Amino acid sequence: MPVTGSDILDARGVVKTYRTGALEVEALRGVDLRIPRGQYLSVMGPSGNGKTTLLNCLSGLDDIDEGTVLVEGEDIHAMADSRRTEYRAQHMGFIFQTFNLIPVFTAVENVELPLLLTGVKAGEARERSHGMLDRVGLGHRTEHRPAELSGGEQQRVAVARALVAKPAIVWADEPTGNLDSQTAKPVLELLGELHAAGQTLVVVTHDAGIGAMAERMVRVQDGRIVADGRPGEI
Amino acid sequence: MPGIVLLLPVVAIVVVTIHDVVRRPTLRRLALRNVTRRRGEALLVVVGSLIATAIITASFLVGDTLGASITQMGPADEYVPAPSLARLPDIAAALSSPVPGTDGTLPVVRSGATAASVHGSPRLAEPHAAMLEVDFAAARRFGGDAGATGFAGAGSTPSGVDAVVAKDLARTLHLKRGDSVDVYAFGTRLRLRVRGVVPRLGVAGLAVQDQTNSPNVFVAPGTIARLAARPTARLASVPEAFVLVSNDGGVFSGATHSAAIRQRLEARVRPVAAVSVTTTKQDLLDGAKEASKSFTQVFAGIGAFSVIAGILLLVNIFVMLADERKSELGMLRAVGMRRNQLVRAFGIEGAIYAVLAGVAGTVSGIGIGRLIVVVAQRLFNQEERFRIQLRFAVTPHALVLGLLIGLVISLITVWATSIRVGRLNVIRAIRDVPEPHVVRRRLRTMVLSGAGMAFGLLLFASGVAGKAWFGALAGPPIALFSCIPLLSAVVPRRAVASLACVGALAWAVVAFTVLPKVFDNVDIPAFVVQGVILVSAAVALLATNADLSVHLTSRLSGAGTALAARLGLAYPVARRFRTSMLLGMYALVIFTMTFLAVFAKLFGEQGPRFSREQSAGYDVLVDSNPYDPATPQVLRAQPGVASVAPLLRAFPNFTTTYRTKPMSWPLTAFDKSFLAYGQPKLRNYAARFGSERATWQAVESTPDLAIVSDFFLRRGGGPPQNQIHPGDIFSVYEPTTGRTARLTVAGVTTSDWVFNGVMVGTPWAQSFFGKDIALARTYVRVRPGAAGEEVAARLTGGLLSHGVDARTISSIVHTRLQQNEGFFTLMEGYLVLGLLIGIAGLGVVMVRAVRERRRQIGVLRAIGFPARLVRRAFLFEAVVIAVQGVVLGMVLALIVSYQLLANSKTFNDQQLGFKVPWATLAVVLVAAMVASLVAILGPATQASRIKPAVALRIAD
Repeated sequence: MPVTGSDILDARGVVKTYRTGALEVEALRGVDLRIPRGQYLSVMGPSGNGKTTLLNCLSGLDDIDEGTVLVEGEDIHAMADSRRTEYRAQHMGFIFQTFNLIPVFTAVENVELPLLLTGVKAGEARERSHGMLDRVGLGHRTEHRPAELSGGEQQRVAVARALVAKPAIVWADEPTGNLDSQTAKPVLELLGELHAAGQTLVVVTHDAGIGAMAERMVRVQDGRIVADGRPGEI
Repeated sequence: MPGIVLLLPVVAIVVVTIHDVVRRPTLRRLALRNVTRRRGEALLVVVGSLIATAIITASFLVGDTLGASITQMGPADEYVPAPSLARLPDIAAALSSPVPGTDGTLPVVRSGATAASVHGSPRLAEPHAAMLEVDFAAARRFGGDAGATGFAGAGSTPSGVDAVVAKDLARTLHLKRGDSVDVYAFGTRLRLRVRGVVPRLGVAGLAVQDQTNSPNVFVAPGTIARLAARPTARLASVPEAFVLVSNDGGVFSGATHSAAIRQRLEARVRPVAAVSVTTTKQDLLDGAKEASKSFTQVFAGIGAFSVIAGILLLVNIFVMLADERKSELGMLRAVGMRRNQLVRAFGIEGAIYAVLAGVAGTVSGIGIGRLIVVVAQRLFNQEERFRIQLRFAVTPHALVLGLLIGLVISLITVWATSIRVGRLNVIRAIRDVPEPHVVRRRLRTMVLSGAGMAFGLLLFASGVAGKAWFGALAGPPIALFSCIPLLSAVVPRRAVASLACVGALAWAVVAFTVLPKVFDNVDIPAFVVQGVILVSAAVALLATNADLSVHLTSRLSGAGTALAARLGLAYPVARRFRTSMLLGMYALVIFTMTFLAVFAKLFGEQGPRFSREQSAGYDVLVDSNPYDPATPQVLRAQPGVASVAPLLRAFPNFTTTYRTKPMSWPLTAFDKSFLAYGQPKLRNYAARFGSERATWQAVESTPDLAIVSDFFLRRGGGPPQNQIHPGDIFSVYEPTTGRTARLTVAGVTTSDWVFNGVMVGTPWAQSFFGKDIALARTYVRVRPGAAGEEVAARLTGGLLSHGVDARTISSIVHTRLQQNEGFFTLMEGYLVLGLLIGIAGLGVVMVRAVRERRRQIGVLRAIGFPARLVRRAFLFEAVVIAVQGVVLGMVLALIVSYQLLANSKTFNDQQLGFKVPWATLAVVLVAAMVASLVAILGPATQASRIKPAVALRIAD
């Protein structure tokens, strides 16, 4: 796979096994993956083949059983949980299928969370969050709670939250899975704009159309990367 | 009638539940599977629900225990007094052929005495012993069951210097068979040899007047008459002579026909003497029943706060259960389950929890009741004269009643909550979307609102007119809360609701002051209702305006702890219903604890004042054996004694407007010497006397006037239900002569710590009672410089033969106050159960909150929220709720107690002042906080350990 700059992520021999009593399921079986800075990567594959597990393990949300994952040269699985959490706050953003906003916080309060966690002063955090909500087209909905927003609006708030701290890498797990095509469109356009602005993006999806929007695509099957290349080539 | 109204829905619920369990397998399966789905949480639900049953059962058991301890009786049903010792054979002869309904008689001669051990240093003494003469063989035949008389193994009637002592006396003096014992009476010492010991049972355990133990010495017939005939007996009370009568039937059933038999007995002995027969066993049973009821009411009343907290917990648990299963419930409705079937499935599940909790609660109630009895026993033991041996009684009646009431409460709560839960929108439920906050103005709501207002106002009007506290107290809040939907049509809802809450709060605070006559004789339930109104209004006010605190939370925008605090504040504000339930649980219990603490502190600090008000300028109270009293001359001769005021005492029967059946009560007669240095404080007196002193002087010199305390003719505890006022008239009966007199209340004392009872002038008392009233009590003033405690100790030790029991008035007051304080503490301890419910409720809510917010926690952790902040946010949330609840309860209680003490007539006469018990409040606050933190530490830690990937994987 051609490399278009310095690697932001370098994963080698990643193995992840789920254990439930006597039952063991090997979800990742020695995955190697390098992601250059600024790349828009889509991870595709059938359901239950390890796409989300790969995202969780690469982002440090989940532990791995074997292998290493270097993000910007740092082995995130060698870090203690608290350090890894801090690292995520400083360097990563997340977008989930079900939006996962904090229901008791308003839109702007949700967006400013990562900033506050990284020690940005309250006033500045609020200002930047307003700016980010403006950018995703929700400047007029900042004081609304998630229950008062539509699905598409909620996901745009989630995107704003993922981007507000200017993370090195944004992980998106089926970002439009809960949206219809009309509502999904602006979210996907937003992701495209982000990539254009140089943001590293990793999008997990089972939708070939969304996968094709990325500049690179990997296909996961039975816990292994079985194909890696430009979307049109796979 | 209200019981039947309450019972009808319960019967309907039980019938429907049984029908569904038997005939609706789907509902049954659904309920059973949900119960066993998460066993740990099912256990929490049962534990949370069992406390109401436990408290109710414990209250019944405490009452039954007191009743059982008082009714340790034998075969004697009636007591027929003889006018004198010499006339006893005549009375006995008159009753020798059985009166219909009776099966035996037993003549008894009795006198008071002082008993003392012969050996040992110091010698042990019992100043309140009784010397009795009875034919043992006749006693064993008496009532037909020798085992119930106490004389089954006592042998023959004592003769010569032989004596048989009751177990109480043997224990006090460490006596055993063969020991010698000195008995002092009628100015003589009699040395006796202990031939045996009999139990406190039946005739052997005969107790008199205010005594609850039986320090009896059975002596040879003729002994008392011989001693009473001696010249040294000049000042002594005359011996009592009476015939005990046993009715047909067993120990308890025999008393059933006492009233009719009493008339027959009086008619039979009338040719011999016009005496008044006492239905001893029936009186004892009535007294026990009354005391038992009173204790049950006190504990159930205080426990009611905890029971209400338990109900709130149950509601909260079921609402949370429904929230958690919202999608499933929506699906069930979608696939065709009707709303009422959903409610019934919940009903079956709730019934399973209720039955399990009921059984477990009944068993726990036995433990709690036992604990209360142990503590109460210690408190009773502080007072030597009224020492009572509590015998813990577990009666099937108490267990069944506790179980049934607990079940009724649980079932009604569960069904009411299930009906609310059943009203879900199918689509919103399936998609787990929150219900929109829509204020609908339906005609039905408007009509109900108007009807509620009218009902509240009518209730208030009828309460005021009929001096019924419930209507007067609850009417205005009902009207105010009912007006919210109606007025919301024209005024913003927040303003209307807030005003209604403030109005209800204000009314509950000032009601006692504004309508003193309506709340003159209120009992504990009035304070329960007041507490419920106050807490409900305050919690509703907070809930209505909770969103205003968003301004506060938005300021908490820093990182770290501030962020945790913001998150911790946001959830309680967003989940108003469950927060309100938790606040209510905490506030209600803390309200009562604070209320009790304020009064405990105030009473505890009144010792010097109460002593001063009680003492009439004297220092030491000397009780002596009326059959060998310490005369004024003897007392004046003792070192340290400056002057004395002799008092005559008797224990006649009384009746008044609120006690129509004759009841024995002490009567104390005083002369001018009693008023030489002042007089006991009066709470109020008839206006015609002009002053307290003039009132006492009038009573001393005027026949038919008396001074009483407001405790007059009352049994049990709690606030006085019937108060006596100056000008009221009551009757006094002298049983041995059958004489009756009517006395007018000239004044009412502020307190009667030394239990003088009815106070009358000596001249009238002597003319009415003749030789049946005797010198038994003396007030002693010590010389300047002499210490009262030392003088009292010298008098007790030096005048042992007179049965002197001398104590300073301040020490008596102190002991009684300690006892009172002990009971306050016991009540507060009882309320701790309610606090435990609140804390358990908080724990349960937090456990469920962790599950409910699993996905959100996962997200927070994913975006960089450290585990410690997650834990801190949960702790903060719990602390916010607990602090709010505790502070709310405390503030409300302080306002109400201040209002009651400063402005209301309810306690104003006592002039107690108002002081905040800071130390107690600090302990309650810290204990509640620590316990709450401990309760939620587990869930909070569990939340912090949630792996983001796991939470998100499960959620997504």
